[in-house]
Amino acid sequence: MQLVEKIIKGERAAIAKAITLVESSRENDKNESRKLISELLNKPGKSIRVGFSGPPGVGKSTFIESFGRYLVEKNYKLGILAIDPSSQITGGSILGDKTRMIEISKNPNTFIRSTPSRGSLGGISVGTREASIILDAAGYDFIFIETVGVGQSETMATNLVDIFSLIVGPGSGDELQGIKKGITEYADIFIVNKNDGDLKSEASKTASDYKSAISYYKKSDDTADKEVLLVSAIEQTGMKKVIETIQNIVSQNKKNKNFDERRAKQFTYWIEEEVREIIQFNIQKKIRADGSISQLSQKVMDGKIQMFEAIEAITQNLQNK
Amino acid sequence: MKTKNSDNYTKWQKSFERETKIDLNEASSETDEGIKIKPVYTKADIENLSFVDNDSLPGQLPYTRGPKASMYTNRPWTIRQYAGFSTAEESNDFYKKNLKSGQKGLSVAFDLPTHRGYDSDDDLVMGDVGKAGVAIDTVEDMKILFNDIPLDQMSVSMTMNGAVLPVLSSFIVAGEEQNVNKNLLSGTIQNDILKEFMVRNTYIYPPDPSMKIVADIIEFTSKEMPKFNSISISGYHMQEAGADNVLELAYTLADGMEYVRAALSKGLDIDDFAPRLSFFFAIGTDFFMEIAKLRAARTLWYKIMKDFGAKNEKSLILRTHCQTSGVSLTEKDPYNNIIRTSYEALSAILGGTQSLHTNSFDEAIALPTDESARIARNTQLILQNETGVTNTVDPLAGSYFIESLTDELSKKAWEVIEEIESLGGMTKAVKAGVPKLKIEESATKKQAKVDSGSRVVVGVNKFKNPKEPKVDVRVIDNNRVRDDQIKKINDVKASRDQKAVDESLAKLVTAAKEDSNLLARSIDAIKNRATVGEVSKALEQVYGRHFATSLSVSGVYGKHFEGDEDFMNVTKKVNIFEEENGRRPRVLVVKMGQDGHDRGAKIVATSFADMGFDVDMGPLFQSPKDVAKDAIENDVHAIGVSTLAAGHKTLVPELMKSLKEIDPKSKIIVFVGGVIPEQDYNFLYENNISAIFGPGSNIIESAEKVIDLISDKIHEHN
Ligand code: B12
Ligand SMILES: Nc1nc2c(ncn2[C@@H]2O[C@H](COP(=O)(O)OP(=O)(O)OP(=O)(O)O)[C@@H](O)[C@H]2O)c(=O)[nH]1
Ligand SMILES: [Mg+2]
Repeated sequence: MQLVEKIIKGERAAIAKAITLVESSRENDKNESRKLISELLNKPGKSIRVGFSGPPGVGKSTFIESFGRYLVEKNYKLGILAIDPSSQITGGSILGDKTRMIEISKNPNTFIRSTPSRGSLGGISVGTREASIILDAAGYDFIFIETVGVGQSETMATNLVDIFSLIVGPGSGDELQGIKKGITEYADIFIVNKNDGDLKSEASKTASDYKSAISYYKKSDDTADKEVLLVSAIEQTGMKKVIETIQNIVSQNKKNKNFDERRAKQFTYWIEEEVREIIQFNIQKKIRADGSISQLSQKVMDGKIQMFEAIEAITQNLQNK
Repeated sequence: MKTKNSDNYTKWQKSFERETKIDLNEASSETDEGIKIKPVYTKADIENLSFVDNDSLPGQLPYTRGPKASMYTNRPWTIRQYAGFSTAEESNDFYKKNLKSGQKGLSVAFDLPTHRGYDSDDDLVMGDVGKAGVAIDTVEDMKILFNDIPLDQMSVSMTMNGAVLPVLSSFIVAGEEQNVNKNLLSGTIQNDILKEFMVRNTYIYPPDPSMKIVADIIEFTSKEMPKFNSISISGYHMQEAGADNVLELAYTLADGMEYVRAALSKGLDIDDFAPRLSFFFAIGTDFFMEIAKLRAARTLWYKIMKDFGAKNEKSLILRTHCQTSGVSLTEKDPYNNIIRTSYEALSAILGGTQSLHTNSFDEAIALPTDESARIARNTQLILQNETGVTNTVDPLAGSYFIESLTDELSKKAWEVIEEIESLGGMTKAVKAGVPKLKIEESATKKQAKVDSGSRVVVGVNKFKNPKEPKVDVRVIDNNRVRDDQIKKINDVKASRDQKAVDESLAKLVTAAKEDSNLLARSIDAIKNRATVGEVSKALEQVYGRHFATSLSVSGVYGKHFEGDEDFMNVTKKVNIFEEENGRRPRVLVVKMGQDGHDRGAKIVATSFADMGFDVDMGPLFQSPKDVAKDAIENDVHAIGVSTLAAGHKTLVPELMKSLKEIDPKSKIIVFVGGVIPEQDYNFLYENNISAIFGPGSNIIESAEKVIDLISDKIHEHN
């Protein structure tokens, strides 16, 4: 496949087209997408996938710009997948993340793709996982995934990334009580942003709140310790510590095999999900194929048969086929 | 008496309802500001006013009726036309001609590189030099600009905000080298940075250091330049960006309060600087509202300054410049614009402005020609000399309608001012992006009204001219201007004392770090022939350059079109497109170069999204190369370039080239919107532009065309 070679060569347009393919909702594209991804999986790169989640407006994009600037100066190549939440009633969206990633988006060593979230896995869009495989094959050192919301930490951590970090703002420590369990379990790093100007003392306080919260967390295995870090995206402070922490966690988890195990689990989960999707699709097609479902439901509506009878008839029919 | 009045009123109401067949309660119309305008006003409407005092006279507090007792009966308003283009030589020529023809004061329009603190030889500004104003790189340019114009006699207004330090310094040094001491210079420097962050977009540094610069200038001029207005607190640009009159009025006055506080924090006494604060408002098409706005502005400023503890009467009085609205002027059937401008000018005069700019009829096409500028100027000369409007001060005072409207506008604006104050003042509000978003929301509503036809714009959505006239256009060859400027920069650099330049720039940097007055230091640097760009860059080392993060409104446009057939037709097409292509049509809307006009781009982006498109929004000031990378990485179907500051002939071909460089087989289609003279259409089509959407384009029709073009392109390749 020509596309694969182009991706591996790092051709920007090919990478972009491939991401479009894996995001596509068209049935034909899905098959092609699976083939493409299978081929790319045979040619894995070396990237570390890091998730950045957090409530709207805490500065995720600004942080990625700032941290990204720090990394590209050190000659790392960055792939960034920004899942933009701004989907609307009409289904369209305004993808504005790049207005916050002005400097890094100019850099030839970055690839930045925004995607409208549009349903699916609560904020993570269809194709995000596949897109990260494409960027991995294309030779990016880090793949950053930006999503909104704390609620998706589980899916994000268990499905997608090697390291999951939660970005929070000063003063958010109070909310910890209610959500303690979820986040302490799934986040590897807590980044308290906006540690600047008037907000400094509030930020430190928030950081210590998080530190005490994670101290409740009992590690069951020898995974790397969770970390709480203070940064200012705007003043670009604390960045060195962030990259060191990421590298530490990676090397520790690689040493004790947690890194590979996590990826293996994600893989199993993924295949399971794909199978489920295909089966579901096929069944739906069959159910709708002969039009009997609409006839049956009309009969239910008209009071000619009971609903359970209709359901039984359809399942019988499916099994007979 | 009372009974007679109410009898009369009842009788009138009956007649009204019989004539119109409408219940009087339903007969009010609502303005953009949400103010109900009734079919008739009576004495009862001016009986319990909150801000307006019916008994006051012109020149008396609360100054509703005018800053002076005699107003135009003594001296008419100053005809002050805003102009500047190409090189200092050409602009100087233009100014001198205008002064001969009856213009009274000068008002300098700088080009965008100068505004943003870049020299003409900077790569970033290739398409913008001399295009939308005059290029000033060194004090030598400034001296040429005022060649044969004695600065001790001519009052000069300068619209400069971002690069205010080097530009004001150049003006002061140009004066000095004409043997005019700075204490004799009269005029105004705009120096209003808050509205730059809100709407005008020629900021350089982040908000906090920018506010410090404003305060430094107020401090310096209050001590050294007694005849010079230290700031022109501007609502004009807000209305032009889409604000209704309440927002314009409230945000302007709230800005003013913030500047007063900034100056006070320097330890100045309020009465030392307040008399030199001046204002600038837009005058749009809502005739009576605009009159009421100027009256309300004076009334509220009086209250504000009183609360600040000002004692000098001059501190309490709001003096203002006005400009008729450019955004009310149309590309279609452009001679209509002469008529619109005339009404707006009359409105400004009835409101009691101190000086006025009237726009040219080719406003929506390009910078004015000599001919269109002449007509614009004559609009005012005719008002002054032929109509008798100068014979009576505040002739509408006592009108039930005007007085009541003045009061209502004051009340509404006051509420908004209190809202901003509760956020901690305008600097904080601006950082949070609140005012900008409110203005964009208002702009989007206005667009929806025009596109749906519920607001009539003659010649655009109704009464179209079947035979559009051809008009001449001022053409500026930016490459030639750029070459000229580069040569002049090089000459200056070759003959200056480099060591003196370096030292004075170093002192400027130190002053910025130590927080001492920057204007004094930058005057020294400019005197030594440092360039505008060098001074700006020196401060950038300390302060950094500001990049705006922009929020977007959503759902405002779509809401106006619930159930609308044309709108639904497009959303249907989008849905079919998605089914066929596995994703929605995806469009990248961009601004390139130094062009900061983002109203159109923002409105188009939000409206397209409301119709179901996925819209990527680029930041301001992108280079064609950045745009190409962005477009290709996001695999968009189309790029929509919004261009208003005449950079299109340089920047659009660059973009096409960059796209091909990254992807020789790129199928991304490119279309262009904004201010494009018809003369340039062919040039753009020859550069493979798929469509051009000029001023007044209906957005729903544009969206349909875009999705059709995208579909065609996809099919062409399948
Ligand atoms: C509003 C305005 C401003 C506002 C801008 C506010 C803002 N945030 O946008 C203010 C007052 C701040 C301003 C300032 C200046 N302005 Co001005 N401004 C205008 C004005 C009057 C209207 C533009 C506008 O917003 N129209 C309303 C919007 C909705 O229309 P639009 O942008 O044209 O968009 C429509 C279509 O063009 C199309 N479209 C546009 N983009 C796109 C994109 C896509 C994807 C699609 C499908 C369609 C599309 O669809 C839209 C809907 O119909 C024009 C003249 C005019 N009447 O056009 C001058 C004008 C653009 N300005 C001009 C100048 C010179 C300036 C200054 C540089 C002056 C100076 N020297 O200081 C400054 C600097 C501004 C800067 N930073 O760049 C000149 C440019 C000269 C030229 N092209 O040759 C103009 C043409 C006036 C003139 N004749 O002198 N300005
Ligand atoms: N003081 C301060 N403000 C910051 C910092 N980082 C971001 N901000 C501001 O926070 C606001 C939101 O920043 P974004 O980067 O857009 O936040 P986000 O989390 O990506 O937002 P969404 O994508 O909309 O959820 C902007 O106004 C930033 O300027 C920081 O380090 N310090
Ligand atoms: Mg973001």
